[in-house]
Amino acid sequence: MGSIRFDKVDKVFGPNTGGVKVLDNINLEIGEREFVAIVGPSGCGKTTCLRMAAGFEAPSAGLVSVSGRPVTAPGPDRAVVFQQFALFPWKTVRQNIELGLRNKKLPTGERADLVAGALKLMNLEGHAEAFPHQLSGGMQQRVAIARAYVLDPEVLLMDEPFGALDAQTRVVMQEELVRLARVNPRTVLFITHAVEEAVYLADRVAVMTRRPCRIKEVLDIRKIRQAENWDKHARIEDVMDLESFVHLRTQIWKSLREEKVANVV
Amino acid sequence: MLGRRGWIGLGTIAALLVLWFVLTTATGWVSAARFPSPAEFWASLWQVSVRGYAGGQLLTHALHSLKLVAMGFAVAIITGVPLGLWMGWSRKAEAAINPVFLIIRPIPPLAWIPLAILWLGLGDAAKIMVIWFSAFVPSVINSFAGVRNIDRPLIEAARMLGTPHGRLVTEVIAPAASPMIFTGLRLSLQAAWTTLVAAELVGALVGIGFILNMAQQDLYPGMILVGMVVVGLLGWATTWLLGLAEKRALAWNVAARD
Ligand SMILES: Nc1ncnc2c1ncn2[C@@H]1O[C@H](COP(=O)(O)OP(=O)(O)O)[C@@H](O)[C@H]1O
Ligand SMILES: [Mg+2]
Repeated sequence: MGSIRFDKVDKVFGPNTGGVKVLDNINLEIGEREFVAIVGPSGCGKTTCLRMAAGFEAPSAGLVSVSGRPVTAPGPDRAVVFQQFALFPWKTVRQNIELGLRNKKLPTGERADLVAGALKLMNLEGHAEAFPHQLSGGMQQRVAIARAYVLDPEVLLMDEPFGALDAQTRVVMQEELVRLARVNPRTVLFITHAVEEAVYLADRVAVMTRRPCRIKEVLDIRKIRQAENWDKHARIEDVMDLESFVHLRTQIWKSLREEKVANVV
Repeated sequence: MLGRRGWIGLGTIAALLVLWFVLTTATGWVSAARFPSPAEFWASLWQVSVRGYAGGQLLTHALHSLKLVAMGFAVAIITGVPLGLWMGWSRKAEAAINPVFLIIRPIPPLAWIPLAILWLGLGDAAKIMVIWFSAFVPSVINSFAGVRNIDRPLIEAARMLGTPHGRLVTEVIAPAASPMIFTGLRLSLQAAWTTLVAAELVGALVGIGFILNMAQQDLYPGMILVGMVVVGLLGWATTWLLGLAEKRALAWNVAARD
């Protein structure tokens, strides 16, 4: 199982044409089997952070490393779940999930077992031969998560994975992810602009600010979650009603809002 | 099953046939020397089908034309689609090839006929070459655009999954571009038929274009119309076949479904 480390990371887009500094001195460490969410206003550079961990972008300065190795290119040790699912529309659910395993050159029998397991894990049994366009958005995102999980990656990178879903489906998926994290804990970097989602899902929440694009503070949710025993509630709305949850949520809201006011002044 | 729109189309065709009959046979407003009556058309069709015309029966001519189109079209696909995909994928390939392409592209395909005859003589090879050139361009351009329009996350997802290069081309890039590729193939097929007739008008001894050429020299309106109708039908039939193939290949594509 892997870890992620951002070490004094800057990112400048278009350095040859004036240049826009999108990230300024990002430092963040995500330990093994830790679930860290980054929240922040739209455009503050959250996706850019994730894309650097995935290997789609290189940092302009500093170092991004996964399990101690500097990230140089995308690879199956860092599975990405995209906001717009990014499933291959010409492949069935099974073929979508299987592609990464074929790339790993696993034998057919082993592949079939792993795919069956991933289908079961995400409650996709019975949809294996469907094409993505025949599925609802929530189901499509289940396929994308199954496709990532089946790789058995060092880290999971999720960029607003529920952002494109309707409110009801989003809640179901959030509960599902918590269940997954309990059954099969992973190292996860989770991007969102929804504060509640971050507090509900994450062990730690990093609050990001815009201009300068920095990580303003990192809140540890774990102690409060354990002390207040959030996990005994199966439903997200019950957790969100707890005083301890509301308190944390408000704290993060204020942190983000101070940021906005500061920008205006 | 014929839908409502299908019936409207059939109605138009029926009306044109009636109009044709009225203008020629019934009233004689259009003289037989300019345009054949239905009866003359039928007689010409009978003649070329059974007894033969211009050195062969209709089937021989039609199959020969079909063969030329099929070969020119096939070579155009085999060369054009990969070239377009490659140019779409690699900025370097585009930079290297595009200037040449831009210069050659405005040359009408028919302008290649003299050169083709000079190189390859009056036989089939020259005609296939000209058909190839005309069908080549739409295949290249649309395959190119197909790659350029692929959603970036789709490519990124494939790379994240560790997809090796060859598989990336065959299982991601080509299928993602395939709706545009098929658009190119349609245009290529049209171009192939257009060019065929022109190529056969010059120095052919068999084929639909040759029928047209002979009929013109014989001042034979009935046979001219037969040639035109046969080309139209062949073009329509091959386009329909291509449409079938497209429907099968793009069954996954929501936009292609009705
Ligand atoms: N490839 C790029 N080229 C130039 N600017 C970019 C690029 N990608 C992102 N940006 C800019 O960087 C900023 C941060 O983007 P992003 O990381 O997507 O923010 P977030 O995910 O927090 O909404 C935005 O202002 C965006 O316009
Ligand atoms: Mg984003």
